[in-house]
Order: sequence, then C-alpha cells, then structure tokens
Amino acid sequence: MTTSPSEPEIPHRESADAASPGSMEERFRALVSSVKDYAIFMLDPSGRIETWNAGAERTKGYKAHEIIGQHMSRFYTPEDLERGLPLMLLAQAEREGRVESEGWRVRKDGTRFWADVVITALVDDRGKLMGYAKVTRDLTERLRAQEEQLRLAHAEEAVRLRDEFLSIAAHELRTPLSAVQLQLQGLLERPEGLDPRIRSKVERACRSGERLVALVDTLMDVSRITTGSFNLAPSRFDLTVAVQEVVERFREHATRAGSTVTVRSDGVLEGRWDRLRIEQVITNLLTNALKYAAGTPVEISLGGTEHHVMVTVSDGGPGIPESAQERIFLRFERAAPMRNFGGLGLGLYVARQIVEAHGGEIQLERLRPKGAHFVIRLPREKSPGSAG
Amino acid sequence: MSHTVLVVEDDLDIRQALLEILEDHGFTALGARDGAEALGLLTRATDLPCLILLDLMMPVMDGATFREAQRRDPRLAAIPVVVLSAQRDLDRHTGSLDAVSVLLKPPSVRELVDVLRTHC
Repeated sequence: MTTSPSEPEIPHRESADAASPGSMEERFRALVSSVKDYAIFMLDPSGRIETWNAGAERTKGYKAHEIIGQHMSRFYTPEDLERGLPLMLLAQAEREGRVESEGWRVRKDGTRFWADVVITALVDDRGKLMGYAKVTRDLTERLRAQEEQLRLAHAEEAVRLRDEFLSIAAHELRTPLSAVQLQLQGLLERPEGLDPRIRSKVERACRSGERLVALVDTLMDVSRITTGSFNLAPSRFDLTVAVQEVVERFREHATRAGSTVTVRSDGVLEGRWDRLRIEQVITNLLTNALKYAAGTPVEISLGGTEHHVMVTVSDGGPGIPESAQERIFLRFERAAPMRNFGGLGLGLYVARQIVEAHGGEIQLERLRPKGAHFVIRLPREKSPGSAG
Repeated sequence: MSHTVLVVEDDLDIRQALLEILEDHGFTALGARDGAEALGLLTRATDLPCLILLDLMMPVMDGATFREAQRRDPRLAAIPVVVLSAQRDLDRHTGSLDAVSVLLKPPSVRELVDVLRTHC
C-alpha cells in the first residue's frame, strides 16, 4: 500500500473552465480527491484516465502522474483483456447510462484485488458522450471473509455429516447386536443347562458381544453429546444403592481381572440425578480401573454434605502420568499406549460430559502417591441456572 | 391368569430370541411385528396376555401409537406394558407411555424374567 499525500491532491484535469480557488466546484474536487476508500476518477470517451484521487492511488498503487493519460484497460487481468471486457463495459455504460461489475483487477505491483466497479457515462445536454466517471471499491477483504465463512460452513457441515453417520451407523449396528446378545444369553440361561464346554464358549461370545454393545453405545453417546441431543432424565434415588448395584454387575469382570472392588459409604445418599447416566459414569471408571490397574484392589468411597455428594474411585495401578492428566478427559485420548490397551478413548470424556450435565465435576486427584484416584462431586439437585 | 406374553418387535431375530427365552422360562409367548399386528392379535384373542413387551421404533405402527390405542380400548387397557428401548437416552422419556418398566435392549435374560415374573 502506498502512503497518501498529506494534502489533498487536486484532480489533474486539463480544463479550460478551471474553477477559481474556494468555489463550490473547487471544494467538490478537493473532496473527491481526498476520498480514500473509493477510487474515483474520470475517463475520456476512449477510456483514458483523466483524473485520479487518493482512493485510486491507495487501491491501485499508481501515483497520478504515472497513470493519467493511460487507458483504463491496464487495471484488467489478461483473461479479461482477452475477452475484451474493458471496452465491453464502456460500451454498455454508453448504451445504458451506467454499468456495474465485480471482478479481479490488477494493481501496479501485479497483485490482484476484488473490485466492485461502477462506470457512469457522462453526456452533455445534447446527448454527446463526454467521458465516464468510474468508482471502484476494493472488496478483497470482504470476499476473503465470505470465502472463510464458506470454508467454515463446509467444515461444520462435514462434522455434522460425520456425527449423523456415526449415529446412523451405531443405530444400525445396535439391532443385530441386540439379537446376537439375546440368542447367546438365551442359550446360557436355559433352565436345563448347557454342556460345560459349550457353555464356556457361549460365555466368551457373550462377553465379546457385551463389549461390542458398550462400544456402539459409547459412539451413540458421543454423537448425542456433539449434536446437543444429550438429555437427562432425573429421578430421586440413593447413590449408594446404585453404586452397589453397578459393582454387583462387575463382580465377574473384577474376578477375571484379579481385582476386588470395595464400596465404602456414609449410608444413604439421596439426590436427583439421571440414574442410568450416573451408573454409566461409575461403569466407565470401574472399567478403566479394571483395565489399567488389573490385579490391584479397587475402592469406591461415597460421602455427602448437605448439598453435595462425593464419589472417589481409586485403584492401586500405575496411575496417570502427569503429562497425560490434562488430556484424559478429552475425546479419543488415553494415557496408556493404544497398542497395550484397546478402546475408543471415550470413557472419561463421556463420564465428564454426564457429570457436568448434572452441574458437577470430575477430577483426577493428584496428591496420592500410587494409583489413579478419580473424584466426582455432584450437587444433590441440579440448580436451575447451571449448564447442561 | 394366563402366562401369555405378547412380544411386539419388528426385528425378526430379536423377536424370535425373545419368544424362545420366554418359552424356556415357562411363559407362552406370542409375537407381533408392529403395533398394528399386535392390535389385530389382541382384538381376536379370547385369552388376553398377562403382559405386553413393547418395542418403540417400528414401521407401520410404532410403540407409542400402539400404546395409545391399547389404552383407549377398555378390554385391553389394563394389560401392563414393559417397554424395550433401543436408546438409553431418547426413549427413556417414556413417562407418557405409563409402562410398568423400561428395559434397555438387549435386556439381560435375568432382568427380563424378573420383570415378567413380577407383573405376570
């Protein structure tokens, strides 16, 4: 960009009836000449430049003495020149009085800018063409902003489509999976029993099925969280009982992992929460403990104050390295290397979303010397103003 | 009281598995693939089931529409309904259905049999 002259430059126009200093016309010329946001200049009937203002210098990069007398076609791109656009515009302005066009134009230094151009034909009172007035605005910034907006919209649309696909795929997977699970469970629960060798195979298939169901459900949860269709259905219940029930369901799983799960509680801890969702949080934390700290004792302790309850899930495993502590609650993150442990890396992310939707918080306690210790703090009742 | 359970579920494999599980556990089980078929079956039945196991998302007539029609019919209104929900989030807002229980798919066989024994 060139600097504009400190004093308004008088339009360079050779004219016989030059106005006297201080006259209305003089002042008007000074005004036009000093406008910086618009290139305003005049062309003779053939399209040669007759006047130049500060805005023109700023937009196109030419000083007045460099451009006066030159043809306006030099602002056009080679492609536009090839199709004769400058003369076409002048002809249209002459025919119709004015013409407006938007397109790329070329600056003195060869760079391009997106211009909004209005060319108005100037005629005398007998209709003879005297020349043209040309007003050009540099809309490059606006164009870039529009392009950026478009890119953003495309990116958002891609994410939305991905989430929609995830949701549809998860739903489609869920039905046949449910059928497989029911068939296998039906076999296992037959009153007349099963041959022990077949039984152990069916049990393994059933466990794999359960894992698949859990993975698909997690995908569905994530798609709900990201699309904002994640809703809570709160009801009043005793958290201690709910946690004990989850632990009971994990008994077999814990035995296989070589761990014991102990629940310590102050007693009845009532509150209004979404029971299935809270059970899911406990399930996710227990699953992690039994996966990453297999063979060590796991303890869940519960306590409460008048308005809050606290749940701590602790294990005696390797703990979470400090470098990973910040990111473990993010999507697709894990502290342990992927090759050692499977999973989507979504368990803690979903747990945090659920706890926060209840107006609570989940944190990793950092002061303990050994193992991972997750602390959940939940209001007994979500205050109406809190997020979620 | 009869020990017949009506299973309303559009997925053939799930319906079949449920019917077999129920029969294994001493119930008589009938299947319908959507709400409309279930209503037809109930209208013709002389011996009404003691419970209806109802899926929600089905073609032709979904679970909610079936439940509405069932409750409007004085002969059928009293039959308890257990909802089978495929989604743990959306379908849990089933308060208006007035189900005696909502089970997530796939329900564990023990959970299912317990619920049926309580209400049937």
